[in-house]
Amino acid sequence: MILNRRSLMTTALTLGAMKAFPGLSFAQARPLVFATFTGSWEEAHKAVLVPAFRKANADAAMVLDPMLSVDQIAKVNAAKANPPIDVMLHDPGPALVAMGQDLVEPYPVEKSAYYKDLIAEAQEPMGPAPFFQVVGLTYNPEAVKTPPTSWADLWKPEFKGRVGITNLNSTLGTGWLVEIAKMRGGSEANVDPGFKALEELKPNLAAVAANPGALATLFQQGQIDISPGNFNAIQILKARGVPVEFVAPKEGAIAFKTTIHIVKNSPNRELAFKLIEAALTPEVQTTLMNPPYLIVPTNSKVTMGGEIARVLAKDTAELKQKFVFQDWKKINEQRSAWIERFNREIKI
Amino acid sequence: MGAAPASRDVTSYGLGLAAPLALFFLAFFVAPLLQLLWLSLHNDTAGLHWGLGQYLHFLTDPFSLGVLGSTLLLGAEVTAVCLVLGFPIAWLYQRVAPKLQTIIILIVLLPLLTSVVVRTFAWIVILGRQGIINATLQSLGIIDTPLKLLYTQFGVVIALAQVQMPLMTLPLITALGRIDPNLDDASCSLGAGSWRTFFRVVLPLSLPGVIAGCTLTYAAAITAFITQSLVGGGQMLFMPMYLYQQASTLQNWPFAAAISIIFLLAVLAVVSVFTTLGRLSRGYGGA
Repeated sequence: MILNRRSLMTTALTLGAMKAFPGLSFAQARPLVFATFTGSWEEAHKAVLVPAFRKANADAAMVLDPMLSVDQIAKVNAAKANPPIDVMLHDPGPALVAMGQDLVEPYPVEKSAYYKDLIAEAQEPMGPAPFFQVVGLTYNPEAVKTPPTSWADLWKPEFKGRVGITNLNSTLGTGWLVEIAKMRGGSEANVDPGFKALEELKPNLAAVAANPGALATLFQQGQIDISPGNFNAIQILKARGVPVEFVAPKEGAIAFKTTIHIVKNSPNRELAFKLIEAALTPEVQTTLMNPPYLIVPTNSKVTMGGEIARVLAKDTAELKQKFVFQDWKKINEQRSAWIERFNREIKI
Repeated sequence: MGAAPASRDVTSYGLGLAAPLALFFLAFFVAPLLQLLWLSLHNDTAGLHWGLGQYLHFLTDPFSLGVLGSTLLLGAEVTAVCLVLGFPIAWLYQRVAPKLQTIIILIVLLPLLTSVVVRTFAWIVILGRQGIINATLQSLGIIDTPLKLLYTQFGVVIALAQVQMPLMTLPLITALGRIDPNLDDASCSLGAGSWRTFFRVVLPLSLPGVIAGCTLTYAAAITAFITQSLVGGGQMLFMPMYLYQQASTLQNWPFAAAISIIFLLAVLAVVSVFTTLGRLSRGYGGA
């Protein structure tokens, strides 16, 4: 083949046309794309939610595309008119960002069969919460003989150089800092006391992990003995034989709503709705509550059982009483300033 | 390709074969880079107001400059470690039997055959409190309490040096292989000792390989997001993590774009220093 100006032009024009009319390369309708979280969430959704959805919807084609909340937002933002994702899963902070940037559609509440059964905190008209994430204290029972009972225990001198935390990039890190601030008289609007408390925690700090997943490695390596931690992540470690235990501190375990949203301009709106419905059913939520997943349900028709009933709450009434929900609207207003401050102040 | 015309000028080259890659670069590298530059020239996150605010913010902020400085320093440290450890291996490679050569090349290449994530996790296992180093030192009675190796600058440098080592060793092996072994003998027979021969003959002639290896290692070390964050932890902030934090967690794209451009320019500056050295060394080697 001789490459001359004409053939080059043809190639360039073809590439240009494909860019200008993306429909050309996507002639076929794409399957429903659900951006779940990576790791245990992906495993749980692949094993339980996807089969339930496909069974209820005549084997409709769907794809899991696991990624972090913030990456989901970035991806949808980059192609608002033709989003590559149909259903997003979000922690409370990113959920507000996604709503603020007009990336999600209101959930068709009146059409939904399960929305009204969700406990009040989970009813979000822009995207309901099918699951809770719970943050409490995680410790190594082989090194820590008396189980901790309060966030304040992290400051005990016996844990010198044994405490792990994560930075504020994660929901866990930010939510935990707010809780510490509250314990010392602060609030979502004022985390100064939290930063002061962090300053005092420095002698005890063994590590500031870059993300909650890295905390798990630190427990495995014996690098830390105690840390704030995510209930689900701990259960996975425990199942793999790592000596870790979870306790809800007496101040209350921090509960994050994990909300699920239909992406604006999704070409698969109807299927997206059906997938979310499947996530809200008592059947799916019950299966996900049982081992090995142990995901905290939000549908009030689900009877709590197993490890969740033992460690967290026996029913939704107790759950509401023992869980602390935070005001993420307030948190988001100042979060970037906190991240900057954390970057500067926390050096160990 | 069709038959070339007989009268074709042999000193000119057809650009046709390079065109696909050139187009690919235009579409997927140059265009996004321009977009990045465009985005970085806005003062607000929505990208409506033009201005140099993001650059001013970075360049007047001691903290941000500190992050840039520590990243560039990290690269220098890793490059130095790789050079000091890699050069003897490359030198040895040229002086052993072919069988051993195969083994050396295999050992050098082995790290490239496993994923960076796996190699990094291996380093977490090695450097941890109950890791191999601490366990050995403790059982030998040299230390009582485990040393803190993970989440330190030292840990990051060591892990990165191992991860990026092939990028240094391979160009060195090639460069040393091009040196005529007779030069060694000539130098010795003219009365130079082995150190003098090394510094006056071998080292200058291998400079092009040194420069190439340093450039590759340096560029790879400062942008190694995975190793930096996993071995360095959350409180050691380097440019890639800073960039990720601003772009992804804070959704502050214009500032993130400005950080990338500044980082890019800083790296280009360092690389051009290397290239200038390379050009000078060619003159030196020929002299």
